[in-house]
Amino acid sequence: MLTKKFVLIAIIITFFVPKMSMFAQDAGALLDLLVRKKLITDQEAEEVRAELTKEAATTSGGKWKLSSPITEIELYGDARLRYQYNGGQTGDNSPLARSANGIAGKDDWQERERERYRLRLGLRGTLVDDWFFGIRFETNTNPRSTNVTFGDDSGVNGPFSKDSDRINVGQAYLGYKGFRDVTLTAGRMPNPLVTTPMVWDPDINPEGLAEQWKHTYNFEFGGGSTTASAESYSKEGGKGFVAPAPSEPFKLKLDLFVNFTQFIYDDANPENPLGPRARNSAGAGAATHQTGQLIPNTDAFLLAWQAGARLTFPKNIFLQIAPTIYNYTGNGDTFNIHYQGGSPFVTNAVSLAQNQTGINSLLVFDMPWEIGWKVGELPMHVFGDFSVNLEGDDRATAAGHPGFGDERYAYQVGLGVGQLKQKHDWQIDVAYQHSEQYALDPNLVDDDIFDGRQNMHGIIVRAGYALSDAVIFNVTWNYGWRINDNLGTGGTPIAIGINPLDQYQFFVADLNIKF
Amino acid sequence: MKLTHFALSLVLAFGLAEAKAERLVIKGSDTLGAKLVPQLAEHFKAEHPGTTFDIAAEGSTTGIAAIIDGTAEIGMSSRRAKSSEVGAATAKGRNMKPTIVAYDGIAVIVNSANPVKTLTKKQVEQIFAGDVADWSAVGGSGGKISIYTRNTSSGTYSEFKELAMKKRDYAKSSQKMAGNEQIAAEVGKNPSGVGYVGMAYTKASGVKVVSIDGATPSVKSVQDHSYPYWRPTFYYTNGEASGLAKQFLDFTVGPGGQKIVAQVGFVPVK
Repeated sequence: MLTKKFVLIAIIITFFVPKMSMFAQDAGALLDLLVRKKLITDQEAEEVRAELTKEAATTSGGKWKLSSPITEIELYGDARLRYQYNGGQTGDNSPLARSANGIAGKDDWQERERERYRLRLGLRGTLVDDWFFGIRFETNTNPRSTNVTFGDDSGVNGPFSKDSDRINVGQAYLGYKGFRDVTLTAGRMPNPLVTTPMVWDPDINPEGLAEQWKHTYNFEFGGGSTTASAESYSKEGGKGFVAPAPSEPFKLKLDLFVNFTQFIYDDANPENPLGPRARNSAGAGAATHQTGQLIPNTDAFLLAWQAGARLTFPKNIFLQIAPTIYNYTGNGDTFNIHYQGGSPFVTNAVSLAQNQTGINSLLVFDMPWEIGWKVGELPMHVFGDFSVNLEGDDRATAAGHPGFGDERYAYQVGLGVGQLKQKHDWQIDVAYQHSEQYALDPNLVDDDIFDGRQNMHGIIVRAGYALSDAVIFNVTWNYGWRINDNLGTGGTPIAIGINPLDQYQFFVADLNIKF
Repeated sequence: MKLTHFALSLVLAFGLAEAKAERLVIKGSDTLGAKLVPQLAEHFKAEHPGTTFDIAAEGSTTGIAAIIDGTAEIGMSSRRAKSSEVGAATAKGRNMKPTIVAYDGIAVIVNSANPVKTLTKKQVEQIFAGDVADWSAVGGSGGKISIYTRNTSSGTYSEFKELAMKKRDYAKSSQKMAGNEQIAAEVGKNPSGVGYVGMAYTKASGVKVVSIDGATPSVKSVQDHSYPYWRPTFYYTNGEASGLAKQFLDFTVGPGGQKIVAQVGFVPVK
């Protein structure tokens, strides 16, 4: 018996040493079978099991130790190579200054081309007692970008400098799922809200608290036999009756969800300063009559309330809507100067110097939506978003344009075909986006669309092809035009130093690797 | 005089030898250590006068840990050592050797007044994971289900999670008890209670065993593995046992020990 045991171990180890750590876990079924077949005894099986476990513990895989509270852990990430083109043009009626070196004239193009990469590496997992956590490291310090440009820091330490190639904490959060249907998250987290790039750049990881509730209801209607039995004939039995197959019930799935967030938008530091509180210096906020005003000493919060539903019909048809209210409380000490957004009636430099980031008078109602279906095996969807700033009048007045309160709407509508899930899949999305000057928070919108500017509308096209399950090639192109010629195109310039942008073009080709 | 001195020395030496009684430290499983192993120890002591036992039954995890850190000669366990424990033992130069000493069937018990007599495996999973919270959902007469489980150092806790719950977490509302007898006592007092205990603990007053998919834990159903929650129980030693530990281990798996195993309510090894 002892000899048989060691022969068994030797056979197992010989064939499975390279995958010992995995096999030790899978050996149970084989050993149980051998016991059932009475080829070995239970005791022999336990001794073999113990030997295999001991062998596995000495392999490199078996030496991994996770702390005991961890019940599940996942290492994930992605890397991307990108070619990027940005181009923007001034209008034929602005700016005021004559063109010179570095000075924008009329119908003047500025263009940039860059070769870039990004890296995101994350760890997420679950702990005992329904807790979970996640961390992710990302390149680039910009909240709306993880891209690093090759050769952009050669001036710092010579070619191939690493000055811009730094790793930052993109996500660091923990959460609790112990209440039925409820998820609580705190920290720097992936955006928990259902949204579109028109409102939120997908690279932004907001900071604060989130409470999510989601419940699924399943409905069935009809079903069972509703027609009379049919006659049938057989050689043996003569006349008989065939019962009809019962009809399938109509199945509907309803997912209801609610997301509440309390994001810390800007931390005022200090809340209680030494001496008297500071005031806006001369020049700061001059155009919006805020020079000399006390700088706020309370934090700014972005509160969101979202309640939505996804209805899934048979045959892969679905509809989803997620109405949301975004409310900003407080100004913080960074975004307290009122938003202006630029002007076509001044020089480009003066227009750019106007405030592009203020979050005053923003109370935004937003409703992203999507309808999906399949034509044969081909997934298709129409999608869109609609937003209105309910305090658009106040925002326009504070910007010095009291008659432009109606410039408060943003919307997007698009059509997509295909879906990128596995090798050889493809997808094309085409959308039209319209975003008015006082509609949205310019600090959050996707900076890949129209350089992240307001008062722009245009076309967005995205196409992707999966070279393998983990490698996707994407191209994105968008072309935008200014909406209202009497206003600037508000928002911090990302790539093109022109305000107002009269025309804008963007193109990227990406090779993405997911792991 | 010389003879007196010699006799005195002999008496002293013999006395010292007698005073240096052999002591065996056994730690681990409450399932084994609450009833079976103490009874085995008593019978062993009768055959080996002068032997003392130091038995601590605080859960299988403590027994395995005691073998790893060398604070016990025998670690009782109602579950297999995890790979992390084996790794820790190997790192310390220790060899976790299991010996099956008895089989057991983890019985699901309810209060005697509960009309539920049988449950499916799915229902057991749903009850202990908290998916089902009222007895009416599983054929009872209604009432919020009170779940009693062992604590996290228990081998029975781990094995039941593996065998009956597909490794899902226990319901948040479950109450953790230190041992089998405590679970049996609580279920016996609570008409809405449900818990799990080793077969040797099913005779407690006020409780009854429910069948699982028609199978109840018995010597036959555990031996032929037709009861779904059967399991081996172990003595772990550091490599091959030696000395007193080997003698006690051999006694346990021998005819005398296995007779006691059957008397206490476990299933003897074949």
